[in-house]
Amino acid sequence: MKYFTKTCLLLAVLFTSATALAQYNVTGTVKSESGEPLIGVSIIVKGSTTGTVTDFNGNFSINVRQDPAILEFSYTGFKSQEIEVSSSNSTVNTTLEEDIANLEEVVVTGLATSVKRKNLANAVEQINSRELTGITPQQTMDGALYGKFKGANISANSGAPGGGISIKLRGITSLTANSQPLFIIDGVYVDNSAVKAGFDVVSKSQAGGSQSVQDDPSNRIADIPLDDIETIEVLKGASAAAIYGSRAGAGVVIITTKRGQAGKTRVNLTQSVGINTLLNPLGQRSFDAQKVEDSFGADEVPVFQAAQSKGEIFDYEKELYGNTGVISNTNVSLSGGDEKTQFYGGFSYRDEEGIVRGTGYRKASARLNLDHELFNFFDVKLSSVYINSSADRGYFNNDNSGTTLGISYVSTPPWANLFPDADGNYPNNPYAGGNFLQTADQVTNNESVDRFIVGGIGEARLLTTDNNALRLILRGGTDYYTFGTKAIFPRTLQFQKGGNGTDGAAIVGNTLNTNSNFAAFLVHSYFTDSGISFTSQAGVTAENFNQNTVRSTATFLVGSQTNLDQASSIVAEQNRIIQKDRGFFVQEEVNFQDKLIATLGLRGDKSSNNGDPNKLYYYPKASLALNLHEFSFWNSPTFNQFKLRAAFGQSGNFPVFGAIYNSLDATIVDGSTGSLIATRRGNKTLGPERQTEVEVGFDLGLLNSKLTLDATYYIKNIDDLVLDVNVPTSSGFTRQWSNVGSLGNKGVEIGLTATPYNSRNFSWLSRTSFWLNRAEVTQLLVPAYNIGAFGATLGTYRIEEGKSPTQLVGITDNPNAEGGLEVFGDATPDFQISFLNAFSIRRLEFSFLIHWKAGGENINLTTLLSDLSGTSPDYDEVTLDPNGQVSNGDYRQQQLGVTAAPWIEDASYMRVREIGISYSIPRSSLGDIAGLKIGLSGRNLINVFNYNSYDPEVSNFGSNAISSAVEVTPFPSAKTVYFNLSATF
Amino acid sequence: MQFQIKKTILFSLAILSLSLFSCELSEIPDPNNPSLEVISADATVGEIQNLVDGIESWMRDRHATYFDGVGMIGREYYRFSNSDPRFTSDLLGKGSAVLDNNTFYTTNPFASRYRVVKNANILITAIENTSAPITPEQVSSTLGYAKTIKAHELLMVLNQQYNNGIRVDVADPDNLGAFLSYSESLNAIKALLDEGHSDLSKGGSDFLFELTSGYADPSVAGFMEFNRALAARVDAYREDWDGVLANLAESFFDMNGDFNTGVYNVFSTAGGDQLNGMWYPPNATGELRVAHPSYLADIRPGDTRTSKVRQRDETATLDDLSSDYDVNVYASNTSSIARIRNEELILLYAEARIQKDELNEAVTALNVIRNAYMLGDYTGAMSKGALLDELLYQRRYSLYGEGHRWIDMRRYGRLNELPIDRSGDDVWEQFPRPMTEDQG
Repeated sequence: MKYFTKTCLLLAVLFTSATALAQYNVTGTVKSESGEPLIGVSIIVKGSTTGTVTDFNGNFSINVRQDPAILEFSYTGFKSQEIEVSSSNSTVNTTLEEDIANLEEVVVTGLATSVKRKNLANAVEQINSRELTGITPQQTMDGALYGKFKGANISANSGAPGGGISIKLRGITSLTANSQPLFIIDGVYVDNSAVKAGFDVVSKSQAGGSQSVQDDPSNRIADIPLDDIETIEVLKGASAAAIYGSRAGAGVVIITTKRGQAGKTRVNLTQSVGINTLLNPLGQRSFDAQKVEDSFGADEVPVFQAAQSKGEIFDYEKELYGNTGVISNTNVSLSGGDEKTQFYGGFSYRDEEGIVRGTGYRKASARLNLDHELFNFFDVKLSSVYINSSADRGYFNNDNSGTTLGISYVSTPPWANLFPDADGNYPNNPYAGGNFLQTADQVTNNESVDRFIVGGIGEARLLTTDNNALRLILRGGTDYYTFGTKAIFPRTLQFQKGGNGTDGAAIVGNTLNTNSNFAAFLVHSYFTDSGISFTSQAGVTAENFNQNTVRSTATFLVGSQTNLDQASSIVAEQNRIIQKDRGFFVQEEVNFQDKLIATLGLRGDKSSNNGDPNKLYYYPKASLALNLHEFSFWNSPTFNQFKLRAAFGQSGNFPVFGAIYNSLDATIVDGSTGSLIATRRGNKTLGPERQTEVEVGFDLGLLNSKLTLDATYYIKNIDDLVLDVNVPTSSGFTRQWSNVGSLGNKGVEIGLTATPYNSRNFSWLSRTSFWLNRAEVTQLLVPAYNIGAFGATLGTYRIEEGKSPTQLVGITDNPNAEGGLEVFGDATPDFQISFLNAFSIRRLEFSFLIHWKAGGENINLTTLLSDLSGTSPDYDEVTLDPNGQVSNGDYRQQQLGVTAAPWIEDASYMRVREIGISYSIPRSSLGDIAGLKIGLSGRNLINVFNYNSYDPEVSNFGSNAISSAVEVTPFPSAKTVYFNLSATF
Repeated sequence: MQFQIKKTILFSLAILSLSLFSCELSEIPDPNNPSLEVISADATVGEIQNLVDGIESWMRDRHATYFDGVGMIGREYYRFSNSDPRFTSDLLGKGSAVLDNNTFYTTNPFASRYRVVKNANILITAIENTSAPITPEQVSSTLGYAKTIKAHELLMVLNQQYNNGIRVDVADPDNLGAFLSYSESLNAIKALLDEGHSDLSKGGSDFLFELTSGYADPSVAGFMEFNRALAARVDAYREDWDGVLANLAESFFDMNGDFNTGVYNVFSTAGGDQLNGMWYPPNATGELRVAHPSYLADIRPGDTRTSKVRQRDETATLDDLSSDYDVNVYASNTSSIARIRNEELILLYAEARIQKDELNEAVTALNVIRNAYMLGDYTGAMSKGALLDELLYQRRYSLYGEGHRWIDMRRYGRLNELPIDRSGDDVWEQFPRPMTEDQG
């Protein structure tokens, strides 16, 4: 059985070598340039299925039949190498060179095939485990991606423990439908919903008419354990992601977890301890009698003076946000197996406290990945992970009841005494709807997850000849979780007792999510003797999504009970989301001697979410890579790589579930349940959004790839944009999803990687990435309209033909402004730069990652709310009034109703996202321990911004397509310091 | 050979999986809610009741927002909100702030009222199409019910939209009727009430469905009295004074009856039900309603309607406005809110008599009100002008916080008499037409 190995080096599984007579044994050692033995290097006899991996000390031993033969050495992150051996030359000691430019990296480009980066026609980004968590431990998977690849706008919604991050790839791809990328882990489509806790019942955050969720829920991709991840691939637009069809509109993130390596079982233990502290303390306004009189009236002055004379001016920022949150992060992994079966087991546990008392995050996960060769032509791979997590996220963000921690904090002056008496009874806060110390102590806002993600892949080599291979790949998986939310507002709270509120509220939600996906592919490879290869694939896919959320809100609680039936009033809501998608795809790839690589593909998709569930929507793709350096005319000693590439593709984005229905809602009056026309009008003609992306670029390698430069320009247009269109409300309806617009994005991504030094004693890697995106609404079939935030008085988004979809406009005193609205900013950054440097001096490693987001504005309403309560820390500064007369607090209040300018603020920042230093203790002094590394690291330790609140990275409205970048008293962000210890046995 | 067998098995597996995926997708009916199409085509009696309950429930929605809009512009009270400055900036016209055509105080009450109108239109379609075993009287009374409710809701919209006028024919969302002028709108509302009245009069004695406990008399006859009371209010706005008196005669108007007899929106703490949004606890902080200082400044000595406000422990201050008194119109968060009640009808009677120069009859009615609040009989000038002043005073204090002051002052061209609290504040004449009305 001959098997052509070229196409699947990394997937390479270890095949039993057939027993034959004329064989000899080759042994040797593989090391890195710094002299460390490399564990798990894959060694394959070229042109055969015989292979092995290096053990724990970098040693290997392999039986070879051919004489002479060529051994191929390959290892993730290193350049592969070919070495000739023979029965007379059977000892190989070699050193692998680090693959700084990642040319050998294998990138998944088809649903079932992959290509080496050097032959890739797209700017697909890949992040490996070292880049992900190598510098410092991270809280969540999505949070670990900042600054690590180009073309992304990643933003945390708040500092609440447990995640809540929005990722947008190459600009805005949808205004209202899903804007978050599709996540696929080991072939399983994983859900990334953010399900609200439902505490708007108490906060009344929607009473002002805003329909959006403002509960700051976390998104479910935060569950994914980081330490198990081998690589993350990011397909940023349709040109790369077209084969994912209707679900790829916002890009695709493909996560591959670690797999077992044959040989002695290796155990790796990592333990980190750290602390969370408030990232950017603002301080409080310092008062004197005059200021108190001005802001609070003359009656308040004696109250202030009495408190002052008793020394009872409190630092409530410290009381509320000053908790030093202790973090512990533990990870144990096991890897081993024999030639037929390999396993990888990963166990991780993270426990962290937030900077607000009573908040925190705990996550435990266990993974088992198994690879087994069932027959010599059939392999199976199983991946499974179980996750259990619990997040206490505090009670924050916008409200209309003055009760959230943030709003009651900014409403309260420092002379208020909110501390409990000796019996633990909290006084009422006369300045706000709630006593935030009591609220922080007594309110529960917990999210908990129990999740299984299980996937299986079967691969059969149906036909293998010298230049033909036919494989059948079957893939299936399920993502099953129960997500619980629990928001408890006991009746002892200021805003629950004495007629304020509902004598306690318990809001308990349960979401049961079951996704399943199946696919079958046939892959045919054909190689000519002249070095041309053809890879053809065809397949079918099926995805089912089923989410069922049941939420019960109990009010008028009995005593201190929180059980739902210990209440005199209970409301239940249920929401089901059911979606079925079916699709097929075909793709043909031609590789002409690694000189010219062309791909053509087509995906067809249908979905129950479309107006017509059986209508197929087609998404084509085409790409071309030209490796000029592979041609014989290329003999530049300086430029060792020069690739030109171009790619085109289309993808879709489904309308949101339920958009096609005309429904009646339930409503209750006088003990009866009524039916009421839903505010959203159904649209039976609704179809998916269609994205067309073209990207062109080049990759340049100089001085044997010591310096590499890659540059990409893309144009990404979205047609049939689904908008949540306002309809005249006199129709009885408020909104309707409709295909009524087009959007254009264009952008540039440039990466420069340099390895000025790379020797055993000193190496230095430096990577600079630059990216920007510009978006424009190119067509709008409905009149321009404001959307998101809180109306034009305070600044709002505005969808307008010819303008950026993320422009921020507001009322203005400028008489020339068209329609009384002026553009005060744009939530999209002007550009972003990330700057990674890694130094290694003998055993010492030092790395840091700087991330600069230049430009982009926020609507900061925390400032407004603090001004109105006279508590803004900068109230008395005089920096805003152009005449230099009026204090900032007074000035901004004077502008209220005149212009929205004071609340639209520059949200640029420069952060040292990650910094870490570590030392590897020499092996000689360790006995049985194979490796021991200690270090210190930190996240967001240095932050430079001129934004008038805790963190410019914020979103009151969660991961909405637009209308993020609005701040209303969020959970403030934290910075983190860790001590790390890692041991390998 | 064994391998060949296994390969065959695998290959058949592949073919099988291919065939599995190629099946047709069936349309998934809405798993969460009943469908409009099904109910419109053939509703059951239970579904008719559901539609009525939907109407009764939603008539309460954003009612408080409506009151806050007209109550603040009418300088009856301040709605203070720590979390929303637009109450005290936009509604009072602070500085250059104006009423926004896409902000909650404009859009929410408007949309909620039309949502009820839509439900009433669905009820009309459903009752006309249903194959349920019901009598022609039941069909007729249901139509009368639906039209009366539509008129009530449209009048609330018109009160805020005023000279912008409103759409009355909104049955077809793809083909909405034109905006009528203010007087055309009022006439259309009156016509709808008259049609409803005629339908009800052919509607037998009992409805097909049950009404809420907010209707003291839930019979068809009782509902007709509600219809006529609304018609009297509309005729007053239309300045058809004979019409006012004629309608009052057929309504529950009772000069000597309880002022609070009428039709109410009801609230409860039951799960999913709404609470009285006009109620805040005494001495509330953060979110509250406090009396406009002029309420007590202008009240006559001895007038017991001082009880409609209550002194706070601490002055409430926000945005350069302050007040020492909470609004105290409702006793609890489950108190009912009147749609229309006898006290207003007595005042409508007085107003019609004044306008018809039947001043003695007017004084008789005004004295009923005056004596109830310990003011004694009217002793002022017996002139139309003086009595109109007296009427407006009585309306201001009798209907405090119930959404009348602003409309009354506008009807009599006296908006410029409303007090201004801060220099630069404005008294608006009407709300802007919601932005979305110009779309689609």
